[in-house]
Amino acid sequence: MHFDPTIPFKYWDALLIGLGTSLRLTLICLAIGIALGFVTSQARQSRLLPVRAVATFYVELFRGTPVLIQLFWIFYCLPMLIGAEPGNFISAVLSLSLYAGAITSETFRAALKSIPREQYDTCRALGITGLRLAIWVVLPQALLRAIPTLLSNAVALFKESALISAVGMADLMFIGSSIANRTGRPVEMLTAVAIIYFTVAFPLTRIVGRIEARILRRLAV
Amino acid sequence: MRPRLFPWRKATETMVQNKLLKIHNLHKSYGDLEIFKGLSLAMDRGDRLVIIGPSGGGKSTLLRIVMGLEDIVGGDVYLDGKPYILRDGGKTKIDHKLQARVGMVFQHYTLFPHLDILRNLTLAPVKTRGTPRAEAEAKAMALLDRFGLAAKARSYPSQLSGGQKQRVAIARALMLDPDLLLFDEVTSALDPELVAEVEAVMMELADQGMPMMIVTHDMHFARNIASRVVFAAGGVVVEDGPPEQVLDNPQVARTREFVERVFARKK
Amino acid sequence: MTYDLQFFYVWQNLDKLGRGVLVSLELTGLANLIGLTAGFAIALMLRARTPVLRVPATALVELFRCTPVLIQVVWFFYCVPILFNLFVDPMVMAVLALGLNLAAFNAEGYRAAIQSVPREQYDACAALGLGGWTRVRHVVLPHALRAALPVLMTNGITIFQQSALVALVAIPDLMYEGKMLSTETYRPIETYTVVAAIYFAISAPISLIVQRIEARFDRVQA
Repeated sequence: MHFDPTIPFKYWDALLIGLGTSLRLTLICLAIGIALGFVTSQARQSRLLPVRAVATFYVELFRGTPVLIQLFWIFYCLPMLIGAEPGNFISAVLSLSLYAGAITSETFRAALKSIPREQYDTCRALGITGLRLAIWVVLPQALLRAIPTLLSNAVALFKESALISAVGMADLMFIGSSIANRTGRPVEMLTAVAIIYFTVAFPLTRIVGRIEARILRRLAV
Repeated sequence: MRPRLFPWRKATETMVQNKLLKIHNLHKSYGDLEIFKGLSLAMDRGDRLVIIGPSGGGKSTLLRIVMGLEDIVGGDVYLDGKPYILRDGGKTKIDHKLQARVGMVFQHYTLFPHLDILRNLTLAPVKTRGTPRAEAEAKAMALLDRFGLAAKARSYPSQLSGGQKQRVAIARALMLDPDLLLFDEVTSALDPELVAEVEAVMMELADQGMPMMIVTHDMHFARNIASRVVFAAGGVVVEDGPPEQVLDNPQVARTREFVERVFARKK
Repeated sequence: MTYDLQFFYVWQNLDKLGRGVLVSLELTGLANLIGLTAGFAIALMLRARTPVLRVPATALVELFRCTPVLIQVVWFFYCVPILFNLFVDPMVMAVLALGLNLAAFNAEGYRAAIQSVPREQYDACAALGLGGWTRVRHVVLPHALRAALPVLMTNGITIFQQSALVALVAIPDLMYEGKMLSTETYRPIETYTVVAAIYFAISAPISLIVQRIEARFDRVQA
């Protein structure tokens, strides 16, 4: 059997639809995940032990187990528990968002930790305290410092989203491997799928480095 | 309306009998390490105090206490005759109204990196004092102009030299019209050729009668700017007097030893 | 909504899950062996002056870092045998895929760690007449390995979690056994919860150690 690089091009429209699903899912889950992650990072600093404990447990659980099992759990177990079928898309969004929330909360935590102590001293000397300190000094700096890692989180999420093919969602991975099976051309099709993932992820990882350098220059005070 | 640039001038003209700052029997420790063992110190409105002493002797800690950044173990601090910091019920109580009348400039500038220079200056007055933005900006521009930084108003801190950053930090502290300004080793992080521009700004403030408390390693500058020099060691004030006395003709053996060691290089 | 939890079937089949755990650990161990050694070699290649070494190393690292692990595993399973006419035990393919993936991430970790050795250290070595292997052995490596340790450990646990993917190509690891058991017993909640708990119980202590180490490094540097 010889290698025929033209095969994937015959199915470009199907692959494109799959990529669309992967990207859409990634973006939705990223948006939810960032919001969830920020709230969680704050909850982990809460003075109330129960709040702190729940937030920590959530983060450690989702970082400490395979995404695949999180996905299976939400796809197969959650419907039984709540007695309703939320639907594939909702389930996928739910599980990847929860995962994204766990990893971005760590990103925010690190960003908050990297704000120098002296900034807080200065604010007290200037009478900037409480909520004003949080909104005008801490939050903007934390967000700036978090941006590069959040971008990396986005790339990671995009890659992990390939797992939803395992529960039958028609993303890029699913469509690619279905065509591979049907045509009996795994080498061409799977390589094409890998290249498509790469084409999206690689430039993003390059941008991360650039942005990081720029932000660090800006924050080097 | 023209913003008042140097409002403390009025205060010096209408001299009050109260001491501007009075520290009484101050105790402070970090764990087992005792920093102050009953330090007392008073300061008049016209005073520019330079604190000298061995490293690790708590010079910076003293400024941080006066700024209200540190808990104390015992003693009290009065500002303008009113109780400012004291121990009560096992806790350090700070009068935040009085705290707002003290300003501080730090060794590492600590400008807000995410804000441009103008915003660095206006953040505190606009957000915490409710000063209208236009008024705060006019005042900020006047201060920046005075310090030769007007062209940098829209630059970010990372685009400035260390000397420029420190001058911005001083301007930022002045935005709140403090009655007392604290300088914590403000030239220690600067390259030697940038020290002069910051010291010049401080000298200008001194000429205007701004009450200051300064910690510095630059003895030459100390002699120029100080109205009084305080030698603190072993947790108390060892000697306190005009610079000609403390630096050139110390009365206490401990001070003489220290001053001789510091000036030894130059002789 | 009442669901009657019954862990009986899971307990009864714990030996199956146990076998699965062993397979998962074996995969993780072997992948780490490749990841730690090949990763270091690749890191050195990344720093090489000649593009003959640098370009293929960079390509390998970027390919593995910028595509989903799932496609890497599936590709090794279906494409490598066809392309290279190589039919070996599925475990070997799984170890290769996971091992090379880990090597790519570890290479980045090593590279960053080597780069984190301060320039002054090199200057000091030059001033002291330390060069070549002595410099690498006694100054660069100790610093770099210490800096890389938390990253390498984190990557190591990550690959343990990623190893669950091989269940999708029917390698009898923990995830696979769990999937089988849940279909056999019709008890997905109990089975998947226990499986998740096992993964967590193995990962958590290691990530706790990593946190400790990082906290200590932070303190030392402060």
